[in-house]
Amino acid sequence: MLRRTFLTLSAAALVAATGSVAPTAARAQDTFTIGLSNGWVGSEWRTQMIDEAVAAAEAWADRGVEVEVIVQSADVDVQGQIAHVRNFMNQGVDAIIINPNSPTAFDPIFAQAAQRGVLVIATDAEVSSQDAIYVGIDQKGWAMKSAEWLAETLGGKGSVVAINGVAGHPANQMRVEGYREVFGKHPDIEILNEVNANWDQAQGQQAMRTLLATYPDINGVWVQDGMAAGAWRAINEAGRTDDIAATGEIRVDFLTQWKEKGYNSAASVNPPGVMASALNVAVLKLQGHEFKDDVFGGVYGNAIYLPIPLITNENLDEVYAEVKDKPGYYSVTTVVTPDEAEQYFD
Amino acid sequence: MTEHAKTAPSNHTSLTQRLRSFDLRRHTYLLSVVFFLILCGINIALQPSFLQPGVMVSNLSTFLPLILVSIGQTYVILASDIDLSVGSIVSLVNVATVSIIEGMGGTGGAIALGLTTGLGLGIAAGLFNGLCVALLRFQPIVTTFATGIIFAGLALWILPQAGKQVPATVWQTYGGSILGVQTVIWVLTLAVIFALVLARTRFHHALLATGGQMQSAFQTGLHVLRVRITAYALSGLFSALAALCLVGETASGDPLLGTGYTLSSISAVVLGGTALSGGIGGFIGSVFGAMILGLIDNVIFFARLPFEYQGLVQGLIVLLALAGGVFVSRR
Repeated sequence: MLRRTFLTLSAAALVAATGSVAPTAARAQDTFTIGLSNGWVGSEWRTQMIDEAVAAAEAWADRGVEVEVIVQSADVDVQGQIAHVRNFMNQGVDAIIINPNSPTAFDPIFAQAAQRGVLVIATDAEVSSQDAIYVGIDQKGWAMKSAEWLAETLGGKGSVVAINGVAGHPANQMRVEGYREVFGKHPDIEILNEVNANWDQAQGQQAMRTLLATYPDINGVWVQDGMAAGAWRAINEAGRTDDIAATGEIRVDFLTQWKEKGYNSAASVNPPGVMASALNVAVLKLQGHEFKDDVFGGVYGNAIYLPIPLITNENLDEVYAEVKDKPGYYSVTTVVTPDEAEQYFD
Repeated sequence: MTEHAKTAPSNHTSLTQRLRSFDLRRHTYLLSVVFFLILCGINIALQPSFLQPGVMVSNLSTFLPLILVSIGQTYVILASDIDLSVGSIVSLVNVATVSIIEGMGGTGGAIALGLTTGLGLGIAAGLFNGLCVALLRFQPIVTTFATGIIFAGLALWILPQAGKQVPATVWQTYGGSILGVQTVIWVLTLAVIFALVLARTRFHHALLATGGQMQSAFQTGLHVLRVRITAYALSGLFSALAALCLVGETASGDPLLGTGYTLSSISAVVLGGTALSGGIGGFIGSVFGAMILGLIDNVIFFARLPFEYQGLVQGLIVLLALAGGVFVSRR
C-alpha cells in the first residue's frame, strides 16, 4: 500500500517535473497480481526459474508497474496443481503462469480460468489447452541445435551414441525426434545406440562408461542436460577427451570443468529464465496489448517459442565470465526483457 | 484413546471412566468437526471470499476425491484392516476409464461403458484385496502394498504416459450442474446418503464388532470373512468413484494420478477419530478429516507463507490436529 502510494507520488512528481504526460503516468496506476505455479521441486533449475520470475516481477516497478506475485511451489500431483490454479482464481489473480505437470489434464481448469478472464501462460512444457498460451523454448529445436553442432563438428560423418532422459516424458520425446531428424540428414552419421539415463548425472556416467566399453570407435555423443557432466567424466576417465566430441550442459560447475579440461563440446541453453520471460509477456498482455496474429506455433498452435542460445568453444569464455562467480548449480540463463517481448505484440 | 474405548468397562473402572469411554465411542468425530470449524474460521479471516458459493463449490471440487477415498478407507480400517492400494486403484480406474472412452470414439455409449467399467474395476480390485487378506489370511499391510504395486503396474501398462482426452461434455458436466445443482454437490450428497444408509445395516454392526473383537465376533457366529471382504470391496468402489471424479476434473488419463491418496486417506480417517486398531469410528469423521487436510492447504496458501516453509507448516498443523485428539482423549 505504502509502496503503491510512493510509486504514484513519484510518478506524479516525474510528470510534474517533465511537464509531459508520459506513458509512465498511465502505467503508474497499473497493479497486477500474478500467480506462479510450479508442480515439481527437486532441481536447482526450478528454484532458479522461480527466483528469476520473482525478480522480473520486482523489476517492473522501475517502469511504474506494480506486479505482485504469489508463488505455489511444491511436489504435487496433477490434482494438487489444479488446486493451485483454483486458489489463484479464488484469490482473484490477473494471470497465472504455470510449469505444468501434465500436457492435457489442465484443459478443464484453464477453460474455467479463461471464462473468468484470467490469463494463463504455460512455460517449460507445452499444454494442449486452447485457453492457455505457451511461452518457452521448443524442446525439439533445443535438441536440433546441439545435434547440428555435433554433426558439423564431426564433419558430417562418424559414429554417435545418444543418452536420453526419461522414456515417455513429453519433453524427452520431442528432443529425441529433434536429434534423429538432424542425424537423419547426414547419411554418413550412424547412431550406434540410444540409451535412457533418466536425467540423472550418476546414471549418465554409468551409461557412458558402458557405451565406451561396448563401442570403442565412438566419435560423438549426444547427451541431454543433467547427464552431460557425468558422461564427460566417463569420457575423461577413459582418456578419450581429445578424440570425442560430446554435447554439454549449462550449469556453472560443468562450464568450469569444460573450460579447464578443454572439452570439444557445445550446449543448447534451456534457460531457467523462461518463467520470467513468460511473466514479462503476461504483463504486456495485461496492459492491454494484443498479440500479433502470426506469433503462435508449436504442437498445439498456441506456443510462442523463445530463442535458444548455444554455448560453444567460441563463446565459452564470454559466457563463463558472466557466471563464474555464481554457485556451481547455477544455470546459464536468458530472459526476454519487457522491451524484447514487445515484438510479440502489435 | 483406543485402549480405554476398546476394553469394555469392567467392574473396577469408576463411573466417570465408564461415561467417558461411552462418550468417545459415540462421538469420535466431534473433535474433527471442531478442528474443521477452527480452520474454516482461519480461512475466512485470510480469504473473505471463502463463503461465496462459487468458492465453496471450487473448494469442494478440490476436496471431493480425497473425501471419497477416505470414506472407503474407513470401512477397511473399522474392520481393523488397512488398504494401501487405494491410490493405485484410483490410477488404474482413471486410465482404464479414459482409455475406454477415447478408444470407443467418445460417444455417449462409450462414456457410459467407460464409467461403469471403471466402477466395476474398482470393486473387482477391492474384492481381490479382500480375498487375499480375509480368505487367504495374508497380512493386510504387506498384501495391499503388494497389490497396490500390481494395480499401479496395470495402470502403466494400459497407459504408459499421461495423456488421452475425454470429450468436453464429460468435464463440462462434471464442472457444471445437473438439475440446477452443481455436479460435485450431487456426488457428495449421494455418497453421504449411501454411507448413512449403510451405517444402519446389519453389515455395519458386524463391521464394528469384527474390528473391535475379531475373535469374539467370529465365535458369536458373525461372518467375519464376508464382512472383511465387503469392506475391501467398498474401499475399491469409493476409490473408483474418486477416480471418475478425477476424470471429470482433469479430462485425461495419468497412470501416476492416485499416488498421493493412499497415505492422505489414512490420515483423513485417523484425523476423523476412527481408531487404526478398528471397531471405533465412522465415515462422518473421515469426511471432516479429508476436508481438514484440504483446508490446511488453503490456509497455507492464503496466509501467503513463503513457499520454502509451506511443507514444514503443513506437516506441523497435521501433527497438531492428531496430537489434539490424543491429548483430549487421554485427559
